[in-house]
Amino acid sequence: MAANAGHKIRNAKLVLLGDVGTGKSSLVLRFVKGQFVEFQESTIGAAFFSQTLAVNDETVKFEIWDTAGQERYHSLAPMYYRGAAAAIVVYDITNAASFTRAKKWVQELQAQGNPNTIMALAGNKADMVEARQVPAEEAKTYAQENGLFFMETSAKTAINVNDVFHEIAKRLLQGQQAQDTPAGMVLNQRPAERMVSSSSCCS
Amino acid sequence: MRREEASAAAAAAAEAGTPRSPDLHDLSDDSDYAAAAAASSSHSAMRSDLVDQGSGETAKVDVVYEKERVTIHPTQYGSGRISGKLRLYLQQGSLFVSWEPNEGVDSSSSNSATMEIEKYRNLYTIKALPLSDVRFIRKHTPTFGFEYIIIVLSSGLAFPPFYFYNGGLRELFATLKKHVFIIRSDDDPNVFLVNDFQDPLQKSLSSLELPGVATVANAMSRQNSLSFTSSVDGARHGSDAKHGASSSMTEFVSKKNHSSNDPGRDLSIQVLEKFSLVTKFARDTTSSLFRENHSSSGRTYGRQQQEYVLDNRANDKYKDQQITPDKGSLLSDSMKSDKILAWGKPRGQPLSVDEWRSFLDPEGRVMDSKALREKVFYGGIDHVLRKEVWKFLLGYHEYDSTYAEREYLSVMKRTEYEAIKSQWKSISSTQAKRFTKFRERKGLIDKDVVRTDRSVPYYEGDDNQNVLVLRDILLTYSFYNFDLGYCQGMSDFLAPILYVMEDESESFWCFAILMERLGANFNRDQNGMHAQLLALSKLVELLDPQLHNYFQKNDCLNYFFCFRWVLIQFKREFSFDQIMLLWEVLWTHYWSEHFHLYLCVAILKRYRTRIIGEQMDFDTLLKFINELSGEINLDRAIQDAEALCEQAGPNGAACIPPGTPPSMPIETDGGLYVQEDEVM
Repeated sequence: MAANAGHKIRNAKLVLLGDVGTGKSSLVLRFVKGQFVEFQESTIGAAFFSQTLAVNDETVKFEIWDTAGQERYHSLAPMYYRGAAAAIVVYDITNAASFTRAKKWVQELQAQGNPNTIMALAGNKADMVEARQVPAEEAKTYAQENGLFFMETSAKTAINVNDVFHEIAKRLLQGQQAQDTPAGMVLNQRPAERMVSSSSCCS
Repeated sequence: MRREEASAAAAAAAEAGTPRSPDLHDLSDDSDYAAAAAASSSHSAMRSDLVDQGSGETAKVDVVYEKERVTIHPTQYGSGRISGKLRLYLQQGSLFVSWEPNEGVDSSSSNSATMEIEKYRNLYTIKALPLSDVRFIRKHTPTFGFEYIIIVLSSGLAFPPFYFYNGGLRELFATLKKHVFIIRSDDDPNVFLVNDFQDPLQKSLSSLELPGVATVANAMSRQNSLSFTSSVDGARHGSDAKHGASSSMTEFVSKKNHSSNDPGRDLSIQVLEKFSLVTKFARDTTSSLFRENHSSSGRTYGRQQQEYVLDNRANDKYKDQQITPDKGSLLSDSMKSDKILAWGKPRGQPLSVDEWRSFLDPEGRVMDSKALREKVFYGGIDHVLRKEVWKFLLGYHEYDSTYAEREYLSVMKRTEYEAIKSQWKSISSTQAKRFTKFRERKGLIDKDVVRTDRSVPYYEGDDNQNVLVLRDILLTYSFYNFDLGYCQGMSDFLAPILYVMEDESESFWCFAILMERLGANFNRDQNGMHAQLLALSKLVELLDPQLHNYFQKNDCLNYFFCFRWVLIQFKREFSFDQIMLLWEVLWTHYWSEHFHLYLCVAILKRYRTRIIGEQMDFDTLLKFINELSGEINLDRAIQDAEALCEQAGPNGAACIPPGTPPSMPIETDGGLYVQEDEVM
């Protein structure tokens, strides 16, 4: 995960959206610091993190915006997803309402956000299968229909966490190659090309 | 006089007809009150009889007001009450007040209390007090219990409160207005300043000085008055904040005209001119020196003197305080001994148990709330006292309430809390299935309470009962204030309160009253937050133009990087112990209701070199600010904020629009917390 020196570093703004208590902050902290706390405090306003990720011989520097989940703070969200190259919409597999909410976020991003934004759908708390309320198949189908890539993750056990970010990085770079941009792109202003294919990463 | 009596009686009748809150009727278990209620129907007839008698017997005495069952409570116990008769009468053109206890012992008094009460009987009797000796009368109309007045003399002495068991307060003031010159204080609408001018010319001249009511008040504050000193400073940071700089300028101009014949004025101008020459740095130095030199009597003086220095204009609002020669020499001494070059006053010791006791009168009233707030502002509160003192700071208890009144309030409020709580407790699982909003709120609260301050031992561990209490209070609040509901951040406010109160109902009410001021932080349209962030931006522009320019150039003027600081008043930036200290400091509203905004400016200024030097953009800035959590030196930040507050003066207050939280919201017909079309 260390930054790969000697190559171009791509900056990419990434935003996490999703219902209250789905584990947005936990996913970020697992990815950025390798940590997990059982009772992660609620996010007030927004938090910002950065983390670099090497993909083959290239490096992506993620500028991650972690947002507050409550609907009440919805009016602040556009400030954070505006200009994002990528978004991870998070729901909790043990909470059906959070999946409904995730779909609303996807709709909003499709309507308001940049069409080129790479969107991932993360079904978090995958370690708690015994309490599952959202079947993986249902989420996978929804993701395919809406051009997202989908993974079930667990910030607690670290399952698929780095993978989500890695996949986003890969797609960002692919998009860039397809676009054949001559110099290092500034993704937070002009996001990557639209993904040609959208597929589930979770089988 | 007859006609006056008739109109006064009509006023009394009108007052009696005023609908009262049911809570007042709940006092019917009080035998005094029951007796008073029974007597009230025959009251006016009885009264006129006495008047006839009075005017017949003493030829030159004209009784213009008389009220039975005006009672004092010399002890904190309900049994210790002395009922009496309050009269206003004219003698040789002057108005006098008298209060005579009733003969014998009140039926309500138990034998054991009788002896003790007897000794107060003579002590509190007022034979003939000329109104010219009265400085002001403070009126109290508590939500619970009887209305009462406190009479404060020019000497600074105060009589114990007179409780009006039969009502009649309005009538009293109506009568006073007819016979003496009485004006409502600009600073406190419950304070009526009295001046029994004999000379009609002097009276009219004085009325020209109406905006200068504070002058009268200030003169008093030097005389060791009891509770009034607070109003001067309160006004500066309270009402100035509301009216803005323009009104204070008007006041300045209008008063300048009247003061031209003031013999002390020339001297004061000289002093001011001398000060206007000093540099800002020297000003800051003298500011701190003034505070160092505070004696208990010169406290307000010192602060106001700084305003002159800092405002650098000849506002002679407090002229009567600066012309005294001894104080002039104090100033020059301060100037000479320029040994301390520091921002803000050093932090003091927390309010101790003994100090707290000394603030209370025998019945438990806080005698000098201003001094108390000052003490708390500079040193905080010993933890064992927080449970008691926070209730005053938050406004759950009034400073002038007695032990008995507070106990009564507590009992009433406990019942009320249980009633509100039962509203959601009674929702069955079957009903909940058909009540999405309830399920969602409960779900949201359930998610938040388990991750609020769990590292604090009080909330630690599995199946922690205190976490459940947090849940219950928040859910009850979301029913009490259904429009506002629950919002993330509220649990952050509640956790320290419950930790301190260790009582569900008391915590609920303290939280609810805090939300009266801060509820707008959680409005869906974010208006409360926008108002504060806008004010913050104005304050930075005023106090650090260079930093303001930097933010402007870097598109950071929305100040969203301070969102968390403002929303939950630095809860996430400091340790649990520190936040209790900071909040009690903020709740004093000692320097400003919006001290937290000055604190934001102070912290930003501390890190301005890094912010500008590292050319932080919005993202970096937000990350940087969030990561300051646990790194900020609280004491130093408070000291800096105090200095900034002083430096900004009325110009700072003018940056903050009226109604900006934590100011009380401006009420509209549409309700305060309507959240339109909310999903949750």
